[in-house]
Amino acid sequence: MLELNGVHAHYGKVHVLQGTSLEVHNGEAVGLLGRNGVGKTTTLKTIMGLVPATGGEIVFDGRGLTDLAPHRIPDTGIGYVPQGRGIFPTLSVKENLEIALTKAPPSQVTDYVFDRFPRLKERLSQPGGTLSGGEQQMLAIARCLVMQPKLIILDEPTEGIMPILVQDIRREIKAVNDTGVSILLVEQNIKTALRLCSRIYIMEKGTVVHEATAEDLKNDTETLHRYLGVTV
Amino acid sequence: MELVIALGMNGIVWGLIIALIALGLSIIFGLLDIINIAHGDFFMVGTVLAWAVFEGTGNYWLAFAIVPIIGFGLGALIEYAVIQPIKNAAALSIVATFGLSIILQESVRATYGAAPSRLTAPIETTIPLFGLEYEVYRLFAAFISVVAIIAFFIFLHRTKMGTWMRAVRYDPETATAMGIPARRVYQITFAIGFAMAALGGVVAGPITTVDFQAGVDVLPFCFMAVIIGGLGNLEGTVAAAVMLAFFEGVMASFADPTMARIGSLCLMSLVLLIRPHGIFSGATR
Ligand SMILES: Nc1ncnc2c1ncn2[C@@H]1O[C@H](COP(=O)(O)OP(=O)(O)OP(=O)(O)O)[C@@H](O)[C@H]1O
Ligand SMILES: [Mg+2]
Repeated sequence: MLELNGVHAHYGKVHVLQGTSLEVHNGEAVGLLGRNGVGKTTTLKTIMGLVPATGGEIVFDGRGLTDLAPHRIPDTGIGYVPQGRGIFPTLSVKENLEIALTKAPPSQVTDYVFDRFPRLKERLSQPGGTLSGGEQQMLAIARCLVMQPKLIILDEPTEGIMPILVQDIRREIKAVNDTGVSILLVEQNIKTALRLCSRIYIMEKGTVVHEATAEDLKNDTETLHRYLGVTV
Repeated sequence: MELVIALGMNGIVWGLIIALIALGLSIIFGLLDIINIAHGDFFMVGTVLAWAVFEGTGNYWLAFAIVPIIGFGLGALIEYAVIQPIKNAAALSIVATFGLSIILQESVRATYGAAPSRLTAPIETTIPLFGLEYEVYRLFAAFISVVAIIAFFIFLHRTKMGTWMRAVRYDPETATAMGIPARRVYQITFAIGFAMAALGGVVAGPITTVDFQAGVDVLPFCFMAVIIGGLGNLEGTVAAAVMLAFFEGVMASFADPTMARIGSLCLMSLVLLIRPHGIFSGATR
């Protein structure tokens, strides 16, 4: 459903993405791992049109994304949870949640979201900035859900979250995936990625250098060590 | 004593008009990172358009409805032609808007002419107030300014576009990724900024002179209000404008206007020494 073919991207003259290719199939949860600064965030931003692709193609549901105005990309069915969560601190929780909606979502969607995130419902009129890190992450996910996306891409959703809440966030992502929404997950936390995703890509210096099923990667200590510097 | 009251009252009225104009300056600065040197000229264009409406129709009230709309259109056009090309180069904004200021002034001089004129107020009655006969139009001017300022805050906090403006101001990238057309939000913000200055021009028209250089006086006053109120603090801008104008008005009752202006510049320096981020920093952002 989402396909990146040899995508390039630059920040000024710096060539950050150097031919990144990856694929997410319908209903699948895919992980994108790699050390600091290899270009994971840039890959997601390029998908969202926030960083222009300078080469290659990005196709979602048969439709090329690179020619679309960036603010039209969410409309195609892609939800985005940015690194650092991207909650607007001075907007209320309700305003954050409904920021992108031009009309109210069907009540079963809002019911579902408030069922899953009862704490957000209690805090609707509070400024987004007063929520805890974990609650903000839930809000960022909920904000995607009300847009009824087909794919959600998440950039390090467990970064800077209290360890006891990491499990909650994992559970929510899993629940979203179980409803048939595809997931593209960027993570530093390898355990989270291995638990949630069936397939994993590993990036290095702006390209994907390794692809494996989570099952295989779990036992491939050499690859894990080489690209991610972890010894399991 | 009566003079002090009269000038103090005039100061508050003028302060509310300035608040309306400075609010436009403040949102343009807050959202687009543009230091709009032409903002005083937006006000001036408002007075001249009001004059033109009055000359054309004989009805000054029409100007209150028509001129802000024309201002909005001009603002949208200018944003597209002048501001969009220099986006991401905020330092250029001073040069570009300075050029814009010259273009606006010279266009008015070429069409309206260089001679200042006065407009008669659409309400010419006076009422007794604090022991003096006060012009009703000035009270009306204050009322319109307050209504426009309140309407703007309601718009900012109760409408989709207002919410988008607050979101884009905080984080344009994430806002875009949520589907907000940031380009359009910038354009509408600039257009509203022009419309507010132009409405200020209509309101102030009968109590000031219609002159192609009228903006030159208004601009520093607006900047002082924005700075003292705390950069990007909209409520602070409004409060600072009223306080400054009241202060200058009272000063002007026992010193000449130049001394009054020097006085308020000193006041601004003092405020910035004590509170570098403005009097109202930290209160609301
Ligand atoms: N706005 C920018 N301007 C210039 N260079 C940038 C910018 N953002 C990122 N870079 C550079 O591009 C490279 C890739 O950055 P990116 O944020 O995509 O990495 P990442 O894999 O997400 O890293 P992390 O795990 O730390 O989030 C890095 O070398 C970074 O320094
Ligand atoms: Mg990153």
